[in-house]
Amino acid sequence: MGQTWASRLIIFTTLLFLVGPFIIIIFAGLSAGSSLAFPPDGLSLKWYLAVFEVESFRQSFVLSMFLAVGGTLTALVIGVPAAYAICRYNIPGAETIKIIVAAPIIVPGIIVGLALLRYLVVPLEFTVTLALFLAHTALVLPYAVRVVSASLQNLRTDIEEAAVLLGCNRLQAFTKVILPNIRSGILAAFILGFVTSFNQVPVSLFLSGPGVRTLPIDMLAYMEITYDPSVAALSALLAFLSIGIVFIAEKTLGFSRYV
Amino acid sequence: MFQNRTEGLALVLPAAVFIAVLFLFPVGILLSEGFKVGGEWSLAGYADFVSKPLNRTVFFRTLKLGFLVAFVSAIIGYATAFCIVNLEPAQRGRVFGLIILPLMISPVARTYAWIVILGRTGIVNKAIVGMGLSDSPIRFLFTETAVFIGLLQLFMPLMIVSLISAMENLPKDAIPAARVLGASWLQVFTKVILPLTREGLVLGGTLVFTGALTAYITPAILGGSKVLMLETLLYQRVNVSNDYVSAGIIATILIVMCFGANVVLRRVAKA
Amino acid sequence: MSNIAVSLQNLTLAYGDTIAVPSLNLDIIDGELIALLGPSGCGKTTTMRAIAGLMKPRSGTILIDGKDVTKTPANKRGVGLVFQSYALFPHLTGFENVAFGLRLKKRPNDEIVQRVEAGLELVGLSHLATRKPSELSGGQQQRLSLARSLVMEPKVLLLDEPLSNLDARLRLDMRTELQALQRQTGITMVFVTHDQSEALALADRIVLMKNGHIEQIGSPEALYDSPQTVFAADFVGFENIFSVGLNTQNEGTTIYNNTGELTLPYQANVSHLAWRPGGVVVGSGPHKGVVTGMAFAGDKREYVITTSAGKIKADVDVSVPAIQIGEDVFFDLPESSARMLDDKATQTQFKHG
Ligand SMILES: Nc1ncnc2c1ncn2[C@@H]1O[C@H](COP(=O)(O)OP(=O)(O)O)[C@@H](O)[C@H]1O
Ligand SMILES: [Mg+2]
Repeated sequence: MGQTWASRLIIFTTLLFLVGPFIIIIFAGLSAGSSLAFPPDGLSLKWYLAVFEVESFRQSFVLSMFLAVGGTLTALVIGVPAAYAICRYNIPGAETIKIIVAAPIIVPGIIVGLALLRYLVVPLEFTVTLALFLAHTALVLPYAVRVVSASLQNLRTDIEEAAVLLGCNRLQAFTKVILPNIRSGILAAFILGFVTSFNQVPVSLFLSGPGVRTLPIDMLAYMEITYDPSVAALSALLAFLSIGIVFIAEKTLGFSRYV
Repeated sequence: MFQNRTEGLALVLPAAVFIAVLFLFPVGILLSEGFKVGGEWSLAGYADFVSKPLNRTVFFRTLKLGFLVAFVSAIIGYATAFCIVNLEPAQRGRVFGLIILPLMISPVARTYAWIVILGRTGIVNKAIVGMGLSDSPIRFLFTETAVFIGLLQLFMPLMIVSLISAMENLPKDAIPAARVLGASWLQVFTKVILPLTREGLVLGGTLVFTGALTAYITPAILGGSKVLMLETLLYQRVNVSNDYVSAGIIATILIVMCFGANVVLRRVAKA
Repeated sequence: MSNIAVSLQNLTLAYGDTIAVPSLNLDIIDGELIALLGPSGCGKTTTMRAIAGLMKPRSGTILIDGKDVTKTPANKRGVGLVFQSYALFPHLTGFENVAFGLRLKKRPNDEIVQRVEAGLELVGLSHLATRKPSELSGGQQQRLSLARSLVMEPKVLLLDEPLSNLDARLRLDMRTELQALQRQTGITMVFVTHDQSEALALADRIVLMKNGHIEQIGSPEALYDSPQTVFAADFVGFENIFSVGLNTQNEGTTIYNNTGELTLPYQANVSHLAWRPGGVVVGSGPHKGVVTGMAFAGDKREYVITTSAGKIKADVDVSVPAIQIGEDVFFDLPESSARMLDDKATQTQFKHG
């Protein structure tokens, strides 16, 4: 009995440390006062509503959505064939290729953003949006390859051969037999990529330009000027968005297998 | 059917080229900047960098915080993971969900919460002043402690998740068997759990250590310019002083440390 | 030529630098059920994959119905293959698995339904058409896989160890069903097995393979009764195989292995002599040995007799009183039950020596 209580206490304390701050954020955003505090000075929804009134938040939200959705989809379009080749073919230099494709996870984001800005974006005069789009795609690509590889590895190779013997060409064998069976892996990769891209800061730090900022960068900038509870409210809303997506994914796909 | 190597290469090529052009190429040039002074190859930039006390302080602080966060994560992680693994399956799923939940939340939001908690008018200070432990609020923000706490909260889930999956692979009867043979709990930990979960510990340790080294938001928000870490120092060097030699050097140090941690720790896991 | 369904000519198959099948020649007759028999790793699967077009030959030619298909892609060869692991599509129902190939051919829906139903009927799975493969037993999956290939009416149907994943009972049932199916459809079938009893029971003709070579081709009876090589003899149950030595002293034959020798009172001008355990006479004869092992096997007792030429396996009917271990016993290796193997190529090998 004593052991169970000790064990519960340990779990509770850890969770309090990990999740507690998030709960505090939710309540800090509910403040009726004008300064950031916990416990809040009275309760109201005004800061949650105020978030939607901030023009720059609206713009950066749209940009972040575009980057997260567009970047992840692009990463999947080039990542799925790569994962397929890595899993099925005996390609020369496979190990090197795997390292190259995984590089964006290992190299710190701020370095990537800076290098991209200085040596590609500025010389080639890319627009800020294009630069952010390329950077976010590159950042998400390793996750796409990894997650899709994992689900390809769980799939027998002979079903594709069976499909060919029943009359498919190679492309048909892929779309009719492989794709339907790795669908949940692809969806998981999309969600993981979306969340990663949406929450990404260091890569976007240098690349964001005046008036073109991702939402987290915009929040950082806003925080430097004011300490009102609207950032808390926005943080809480974004957290709910992420959690909602992941929760649905978990219920439908067993998402945590892929994380 | 998969014998055609050119076909395979053609399929990976777009991804590999994309990464090579957008990633390896620019990062490579950035790193090379550290080895140039006035357009000439030279190590003078490094000598200069090392000679400045601030740079040394920041370097050792980053390293120290990285180790500390990894170490404390491991201690709390073992205790928590062990308790979670012994829960009933249904409860275990729920607790596991709560552990990975912070990973899905924006690091900006997660770090921001600590301002509410540790700020001048935060709960901690309210409690301290309220209980009469101190007359005026204590400064927590912009200290190493605040950065440490923020990093710990940010990266500990990675350690716990790694340790849980390592512990799930523990033979079911290993611990009771050791207890029956007369081992104390400390001996059970050092002789049974630790050796059998070493790979999980190393994986988690690598993720936490490199995560802490390369975090930007936490030191930026909770440390500010008072408690610089390598990433925030790099940002300052570029944005404030346009110093790309230092930027190249810091980037090189960060990458070497990250790869180094990956390689060394993987060796340790295998040994 | 028209009655040859598949012809393999000087077919060489390789994985990178390792040659799995060096220069194979084989004609498969239209409408026959032929078995590729051989130990694991001898190149049976590789040969099948080459016929199906899943593997490019290093050199040589494959003819199907007299046409050179060596360069024809797998989806245009009209060859069916039932995979050892069935390779069913996990996301499709039984019905849709069987319909897969027909849908690709864009057959009218009525025809598809009718042919799929007939196919499922043929393998006795009509009632399980709506289930996914994961909801079927091993035997049902195996039959579904068979139906999926059969509805395509392939010119040749290849089956890779079709029965190896089934339990013993089911394996016997499926043997009969497979044979009946072949008779009913008349499709040329090539099946792979490493189990000699399966090959003997099912096939019209057996191709015995070893290290990518064909060791012997023939009817089950021919292979069973008159193996031509040491390998073939060993594979079909001649457990006592001896090398024949030169004998200069008398008219008899000396057989030997690495532990000793034995002289037989008749002449054999071959390289090896072989006996099944049932062909050894126990209780009388010119040779003496010690019983060192005995196992009861229902209708017979299986003895191990240690002789001057090593261990001999001998089966004796249960009606004969048992001989105890350790007893001396007389035995004979009669000329009538001996198989004469002239196999200069095979190095002397002694399984029981
Ligand atoms: N994918 C492969 N790569 C390299 N060698 C292989 C491969 N598949 C089979 N082999 C080799 O080819 C030989 C024949 O294999 P296989 O045709 O599978 O034998 P069987 O089906 O008779 O058991 C074996 O020596 C095997 O090791
Ligand atoms: Mg095989």
